[in-house]
Amino acid sequence: MWKEIGDREFGKLRPNLFSNRIKSSRIASLQLSNHKEIVSSHRGSINSLQVDLTEGRYLLAGAADASVAVYDIQRATDHEGDGLIAKHRSLFVVDKQHEHGHRYAISSATWYPIDTGLFVTGSYDHHINVWDTNTTQVVMNFKMPGKVYRTAMSSLATSHMLIAAGTEDVQVRLCDIASGAFAHTLSGHRDGVMSVEWSTSSEWVLITGGCDGAIRFWDIRRAGCFRVLDQSYSQLGRRPPLQTRSTANKVAITKSSSTAQSSSVKSRSLQRKNTNGNSLKHAGLNRYSAQVKGSMKQRLHPGMLSTQDRATAHYGAIIGLKSTGDGMYLLSAGSDSRLRLWDTESGCNTLVNFEITRLQTSKPIQLATTQDSAIVFVPCMTTTKAFDMWSGKTMLNFRGHYENVSCCWYSAQDQELYTGGNDRQILVWSPANSTTGEVDEWRKGQAAALDQDNWSD
Amino acid sequence: MFVYLQPMLDVPIYGRIATLELFRPHGEAQVLLFITTEKYKFCVLQWDPEAFKVVTRAMGDVSDRMGCRPAYSGQICVIDPDFRLIGLHLYEESFKVIPFDNQGQLMETINIRLKELQVLDIKFLYGGTKPTIVVLYQDDKDARHLKTYEVNLKDEDFVEGPWSRNNLVGGPNLLIPVPPPLCGVLILGEKRLVYCGASASISSRISHSITRTYGRVDCDSSLYLLGDHNGLLRLLMITHEKEKVTALKIENLGTTSIASTISCLNDAFVYIGSSYGDSQDRVAVQGIKGMWSLRSATNDFYDTTLVYSFINETCVLKMNLENELKQTETAGFCLEAQTLYCHNAVYNQLLQVTSNSVRLVSSTSKELQHEWFAPVGFSLNIATANATQVLLATGGGHLLYLEIGDRVLTEVMQTQLEYDISCLDINPIGQNSNHSHIAVVGTWNDISVRIFSLPELNLMTKEHLGGEIIPRSVLLCAFEGVSYLLCALGDGHLLNFVLNMDTGELTDRKKVSLGTQHITLCTFSSKNATYVFAASERATVIYSSNKKLLYSNVILKEASHVCPFNPEAFPDSLAIAREGELAICTIDDIQKLHIRSISLGEHAHCICHQEQTRTFAMCTIKYSWCKSIYLENHSVQLMDDQTFQFIHTFVLENHEHAYSIVSCSFSGDTRVCYCVGTAYVRPDEEFPTEGQILVFTVVDIQLALLAVERTKGIVYSLKAFNGKLLAAIDQRIELYKFVIRENNGHELHSECGHDCHTLTLCILTRGDFIIVGNLRESISLFIYKDGAIKEQARDYNVNWMSAVEILNDDIYLGAEKHFNLFTVRKNSKGATNEEHDRLEVAGKYHLGEIVNRFQHRSLVMHFPDSEVEQIPTVIFGTVNGAIGLIASLPSGKISKNMPLFQISSICVPILKWYSEAASSRKLKKKKKIALLTRVLE
Repeated sequence: MWKEIGDREFGKLRPNLFSNRIKSSRIASLQLSNHKEIVSSHRGSINSLQVDLTEGRYLLAGAADASVAVYDIQRATDHEGDGLIAKHRSLFVVDKQHEHGHRYAISSATWYPIDTGLFVTGSYDHHINVWDTNTTQVVMNFKMPGKVYRTAMSSLATSHMLIAAGTEDVQVRLCDIASGAFAHTLSGHRDGVMSVEWSTSSEWVLITGGCDGAIRFWDIRRAGCFRVLDQSYSQLGRRPPLQTRSTANKVAITKSSSTAQSSSVKSRSLQRKNTNGNSLKHAGLNRYSAQVKGSMKQRLHPGMLSTQDRATAHYGAIIGLKSTGDGMYLLSAGSDSRLRLWDTESGCNTLVNFEITRLQTSKPIQLATTQDSAIVFVPCMTTTKAFDMWSGKTMLNFRGHYENVSCCWYSAQDQELYTGGNDRQILVWSPANSTTGEVDEWRKGQAAALDQDNWSD
Repeated sequence: MFVYLQPMLDVPIYGRIATLELFRPHGEAQVLLFITTEKYKFCVLQWDPEAFKVVTRAMGDVSDRMGCRPAYSGQICVIDPDFRLIGLHLYEESFKVIPFDNQGQLMETINIRLKELQVLDIKFLYGGTKPTIVVLYQDDKDARHLKTYEVNLKDEDFVEGPWSRNNLVGGPNLLIPVPPPLCGVLILGEKRLVYCGASASISSRISHSITRTYGRVDCDSSLYLLGDHNGLLRLLMITHEKEKVTALKIENLGTTSIASTISCLNDAFVYIGSSYGDSQDRVAVQGIKGMWSLRSATNDFYDTTLVYSFINETCVLKMNLENELKQTETAGFCLEAQTLYCHNAVYNQLLQVTSNSVRLVSSTSKELQHEWFAPVGFSLNIATANATQVLLATGGGHLLYLEIGDRVLTEVMQTQLEYDISCLDINPIGQNSNHSHIAVVGTWNDISVRIFSLPELNLMTKEHLGGEIIPRSVLLCAFEGVSYLLCALGDGHLLNFVLNMDTGELTDRKKVSLGTQHITLCTFSSKNATYVFAASERATVIYSSNKKLLYSNVILKEASHVCPFNPEAFPDSLAIAREGELAICTIDDIQKLHIRSISLGEHAHCICHQEQTRTFAMCTIKYSWCKSIYLENHSVQLMDDQTFQFIHTFVLENHEHAYSIVSCSFSGDTRVCYCVGTAYVRPDEEFPTEGQILVFTVVDIQLALLAVERTKGIVYSLKAFNGKLLAAIDQRIELYKFVIRENNGHELHSECGHDCHTLTLCILTRGDFIIVGNLRESISLFIYKDGAIKEQARDYNVNWMSAVEILNDDIYLGAEKHFNLFTVRKNSKGATNEEHDRLEVAGKYHLGEIVNRFQHRSLVMHFPDSEVEQIPTVIFGTVNGAIGLIASLPSGKISKNMPLFQISSICVPILKWYSEAASSRKLKKKKKIALLTRVLE
């Protein structure tokens, strides 16, 4: 950090690169915070955590005891231990005692993406509530056909206010806050839907993961899903392979690789040509709309029987989904204890091998990524692990919870990680720094060393 | 030859320009300019020569939707050499293509996925049938590779390129595409230079240097100029036989300011743009022996011609209509010999004196009118002239006096002195501005100056100068009606006498030292006042005020020869020759912002002034290479605040780096101290874990160490705080007391501290309040109360700070990484606790620069009665070397109760990076500020 500060002062380092380097060095030193504590007001396992997207200041937590609470993570409510440890108590709690509170466990609690005036909770009592933060009153209520597993709102949306809800039911519903009614039902999954995620590059694209092992991409302006991810449909590396330039080069490739690989290269390039050939001119990184118009969509229409429609992304249920910040990749976690990284443009499994031993299978988990999508945080039983996104290597282990961790949230603003577990705790993981206590100890050590010198004289 | 780059037009662009490329689409007669800004806007500009302005041909937005990450090494813009498309690398994993249609118009953009993450450079290859890019990138394991891709516009995708190179060694960081017939690419590394083509590659080792930029010398593909990180300019030569490269040669040309861009303007000139130092456009001219300016006609006001002379050659430069100096022929002049003197004479004639003749040339027809030859066996050594008279000296002490008539030179008088003559002058200062009735002569062996009457050459006065140093230049001049004789000695001393024009009597002898080497004197006028320029290693301007001679230093350092040059384009200029170059300068209004650079030979990092001891103390770094190991030596230097001479140097320990310095005094102690905060940057540690605070006092103009305190971390900032010392150490702020130990020694004793959890970059104090600028958590306010530091309020916004300053009790100013300034206000009257705890953002200003330091000072001199005096101002210095001023305007003037904040005068590039041959860098810093004419608005 000290070096970068000097470089910035001399103009050798551009300011964005400067802050990115400091951020990544801070992330690399994440550990259980020695100066910040969140005092959990929940008496059940924490199922959902989210810091608001506007100020980066208020942490919303939903728990299995039907309680939802908001914590100010910037300003402490009180201090302990000579002012060294900042305690963050909840600003308010809404639980079963509240007249409109949920009756059963809250599975999902999310902020309204535009401001902190509203938040949305989904519960096992088959209800989705929309709350006014300032009055802590329910302003809207949606009755769902079964237990609500996950709700999501698009942070990009400028033309809709839809809550996507995954429930026990096979249909994904879109609840419209503007009208108070269901805008859409998306049919295609053959089992309940545990995870829903909006695309981070298009406000119209929704991604859902079901207990049937399928991950489906929907363009909510049209009927039916336009893509089902297939775990066997893969590419090595970050983008689909290129067309080879000439026959001479092609021969070289065939020679160097096995015949099976080279044939797959051919078929894929053929297929790419097909989709591109039908697509219209378009700008922007995502080509969803183009693909909807293309021939793929016709084949994948839910009414049609197709092998692609039966494709699975995992063996077992999809328990977590997370789009990278740039919308180019999707991470999925399955009850088969696998984490997969998908290229959202080609729909290919990128074959990154994440070093995961075991994931919990009974409940959905909440994944988190850093802002530059270099690191993914995954709750793995009682620990939370940080993996390098592109190599799948474990970078950090966060051990602190006594029971399974079910959710985590990474604050890009403060480079802090918040994790919630079945032990009803919310833990804060912050970049390492030395505290006053350590400095005092260090000073004592220095003094002792001096004294010893005097003694030996 | 002399070139002067003149700004033609300023075109404001509302954005920070990220890339700038020239291109000429098919069917276009003119070259167009493509610009992208950091906010991802682009425009195509065209020059309209008739309207003399820039026309916007196209503009638009090339940003992608949210979620995209900006490119690792900044924006890259490349244009296909066959002008089929423009390629942009703006975001990671993306290559944006703007194709041209057949009419050369831009078409809709296409995004192509790029697999490579850390892209270092992208260039288009020459000669491909399809547009082909070459990408230099770094992988996860920091290995660097080169790949080529063909852009297939039909499929909107890449096609595998013709070749690639993996695992390049020698730290490659820059690509140069080579035009046909080679069509390959040059890969420039720190230690290795590689040419890569489709078929073959050739590499050569080079001495360590990081090439930053290049310029192609000619249309031929074989010559390139390379500029490196130390300002070294090198020439790269590719020798090839047809399409086969046989060798790469590199040649050092010299040092310049650290180049950011290199453009070859034509065959002879190179423009080197530098963001660290001065951009240069000087002409290298070796060994100038003398220099004179001439007018076209005797009565013209402006000069048009500059004559300068080498040891056996004379050059004539004439100002043409485009205000360029071009070498010209003047038929009547003898150009094959050294010119001793040149002057405009009466009757539209020009006078040239060479070692064997005096030539009279018509200034209109340029033909020789008359030539007077020196006596046989004698050659002319020294000459001087005015419009009607010529005075010559030959060997053996002969003095010859000639008068100029219409097309004729007549020898009037001749005399012989007992000693050789060292200098002459007949500058007319009497009633007649074309004729002088006295001449002054300096002689060798007896070291004297003599005044002769003209035309009789009778000795009027002889003044022995004393000492052993001979006079090298004499000058007659008049200031404010008083006649003076100035006499410069060979050792840098200047004598001045008041001269009685009638009797030749010399009185009021005064002696001053202007330098250590010999001085050349000449007069020039500016704004109707007469000045004398004394050219030496420390150039000085002499002028008179209230009948007193005053000496004023000029920013210019060395000058071997100088002459007034008054062309119409830049009136009242001076042509100045120095070691190997010729420059045309103007003398600024002397009462202006006055900047003087003091060469440290080291890089000054922080500086502080102590009024009581009249000294500056600064922390400096000296960079050096020792057996290919990079060394940094840090020290604390003490400098006199009047003479700017270094008095004392305190060398810090090995690996100890200075970070901060402050002048303070401690309660219970009368001395004033310098406190220096340091850190131990040990090579085996990932980051510094230990530092020191050193307390010095100035005793007998030396830094005496009073106390040392070890700290756990880097001492980023120090401030005096109510007779104590406040330090920002890593994430903590700590307050130290100064205590006297039993054995009369001193030590700093930590009184209390506070954890800020993120790095505390700077601290400021006001009364009991402490303002902290955090690295990434904006501004916090603390209060010292009952022996403890408590946080009182903070700004909850995320701001990556670079500098902070206090404007008044309630308002604090901050500078952050997005080139903005902002102010926050303490809300002491807030109703709720929450409002109390928050510093509210009061003002925002986009400066466009990263501020390194703020300082409460004024650029204007204190006029006790002026209104300006009442306005508190803050000076800032930025990374790019600008200095600016922020003024808090008084409340009554604009709004009732809030001091608005406004930038009033901006940007004098003062902080400059500079490079020297010894590759030691220095930061020219701290200035002497006299007066700024521009008044606050």
